[in-house]
Amino acid sequence: MAKAVRAVAEGEGDEVTFCGTCAFAPVCLPNGYDKTALSELHCLIEHVGPFPPGHVVFRRGDAFDAVYAVRAGAVKTCVVDEQGREQVLGFYMPGELVGLSGIYPAHYPCDAIALDTLTVCRFSFPAMAMLATRLPGIQAQLFRLMSRDIGEAALLAGDFTADERLAAFLVRMSHGQAARGYSATRLHLAMTRTDIANYLRLAPETVSRVLRRFVDDALIVVDRREVTLAGLETLERMARPVLRDSA
Amino acid sequence: MSARDHSPRFDAGLLTRYDHAGPRYTSYPTAPHFHNGFGEAEYCANARASNEEPIPRPLSLYVHVPFCESPCFYCGCTRIITRDHSRADGYLERLHREIGLQGGLFDGDRRVQQLHFGGGTPNFLDAAQMAALLDVLDTSFTLARGDTRQFSIEVDPRHADAAAMARLAGLGFNRASFGVQDLDPRVQAAINRIQPLERTLDVVDGARAAGFRSLSVDLIYGLPLQTRDAFARTVEQVAAFRPDRIALYSYAHLPDVFKAQKQIRAEDLPSPADKLGLFGTALAALTGAGYRYIGMDHFALPGDELALAQDAGTLQRNFQGYSTHADCDLVGLGMSSIGRVGDAYAQNARDLFGYYAALDAGRLPIVKGLVTDDDDRLRGAIIQALMCMGTLDVAAFEARHGIAFATRFPDALARLAPLAADGLVVVAPGRIDVTPRGRLLLRPIAMCFDAWLDRPAARPRYSRVI
Repeated sequence: MAKAVRAVAEGEGDEVTFCGTCAFAPVCLPNGYDKTALSELHCLIEHVGPFPPGHVVFRRGDAFDAVYAVRAGAVKTCVVDEQGREQVLGFYMPGELVGLSGIYPAHYPCDAIALDTLTVCRFSFPAMAMLATRLPGIQAQLFRLMSRDIGEAALLAGDFTADERLAAFLVRMSHGQAARGYSATRLHLAMTRTDIANYLRLAPETVSRVLRRFVDDALIVVDRREVTLAGLETLERMARPVLRDSA
Repeated sequence: MSARDHSPRFDAGLLTRYDHAGPRYTSYPTAPHFHNGFGEAEYCANARASNEEPIPRPLSLYVHVPFCESPCFYCGCTRIITRDHSRADGYLERLHREIGLQGGLFDGDRRVQQLHFGGGTPNFLDAAQMAALLDVLDTSFTLARGDTRQFSIEVDPRHADAAAMARLAGLGFNRASFGVQDLDPRVQAAINRIQPLERTLDVVDGARAAGFRSLSVDLIYGLPLQTRDAFARTVEQVAAFRPDRIALYSYAHLPDVFKAQKQIRAEDLPSPADKLGLFGTALAALTGAGYRYIGMDHFALPGDELALAQDAGTLQRNFQGYSTHADCDLVGLGMSSIGRVGDAYAQNARDLFGYYAALDAGRLPIVKGLVTDDDDRLRGAIIQALMCMGTLDVAAFEARHGIAFATRFPDALARLAPLAADGLVVVAPGRIDVTPRGRLLLRPIAMCFDAWLDRPAARPRYSRVI
């Protein structure tokens, strides 16, 4: 793990803009915490990166000592079984937190790997846990984020069609981006189609076949890795069986 | 482009003034900038990455057959002259191996929408060799079925007949282009290519009867002993049998580079002014016969796919000229072939020795290439738009790529200003349009956006723009 390139406190600048988009914003931003609490918090945060594609943020079994907010780029989490087969567990876009699932049992349960050039905020966890005991707002936000992460894992286990899975995949990305102030309709798919297929438990050809049909039905426009959602409402309707139980 | 400005304006004075050497932009950056720091490993990485886009692009295959039975004296292609057809066997053995290696790089759902056999003389191969080659392609790649696929072959009518065209159709070819060049017997003698019109017509009729859907004919102006009257007759005779497309190439006399051209007597060549006159004559004859000027060297009947694609704004440019399918990744197969996969260009060894040596060692024969960056891709897209559609919607381009055109390309706009003053282009707020005067000068217009022109090239050699 590379060490801090620079600390947050050194130069805020456009970081303020970024931080407004982060899932941890309620924790980090000066929402009523006094200056002492904030500076304590900033002491726990390091900006790290940029890392090249393929960089391992943490590996399964590593001692849990931090969670990471994606600043730029994207991360996938995955596990590899004894036969070397990979199972992709999730994708994390700018503003999303990676590593929460390591809180218990104090080891990361999966690998986290950069999909493209990656920079992250690293939140040192023991220090944050300590802080959380003193600042109830942080604790509440942590619980909220953790429960969402757990919900995510169960999401695609059901008996859904390929169309429903792909629609859910796009809609979740769209909602996630919209929630953090990014475009709800323009997505950059940094992950490989093999990873998308693996995550959705489909064959790679099926992913492309369904996406091509979405294109033919004018639901999406695809330009290489850039996907524009032209029929977001229709996709949301298709995704409903999958997303029923999630926020 | 709208229907009103299809016909280019011929202005000899203007064309002479802009007759400098310039790239043809079948790629951007152009092939002389490919470098040998790019090889097999880089190509394979790019090919695998191209499988991983959400919707991987379909494939287009180019297969180069370098052999010819006799040398046409004008030719500048990479080719080998031999009457010994068994020489093709050694080549085909390596080609089969290369096809197997390349096929293994691409996922099976990436259909081959477009297949093009070029040369040399592809019909140098006999029926059995051709059938075996198609069989290997079919085994190693997923060839598209049905009407939408475009499988084309360059045919030398001197070595073909109706039966040969029927066999090619049986193998899946549905388009063909025929070398004609000129029908005047004096010119044919001077270029060492005796080919009576009847012969060409036989093969064309045979192709039509066999179900070929798009036929193209190549003509060349600037050849020895050509006169305006005789060349006008050639164009009229060719236009009379209504090939869907006609390519009108300019002969570039570079005997120091292309050995065969030494056989052409310099005193037989038309002067630059006469050559321009030949072009003007052919242009008038073709448009008079109902052909539409597509751009560069290419003409098509108004109902042809190229013309329809130009109207629809989907026309593209690639190594085979204009195309309706350049959204494909292009796999180059055979000696000297160029491919474009993902963001990379790759070129094979240009000589048999290098080509054989690599494949005998189990390696792809890629000797150079280039990975494009963001700036290359932006400029390439602008050059495409101007050369294919004759227009660039600057506002849409800015929105799509998140750039401010004027601050991103001040160099290009400055270079474009004198061309605008000469009336070749109109640079208006939000758009750039090629005028009828500029349509015959697409190369100098495109060159304004070429950031590589000032950089040293491995092989800095372009033909003149006219």
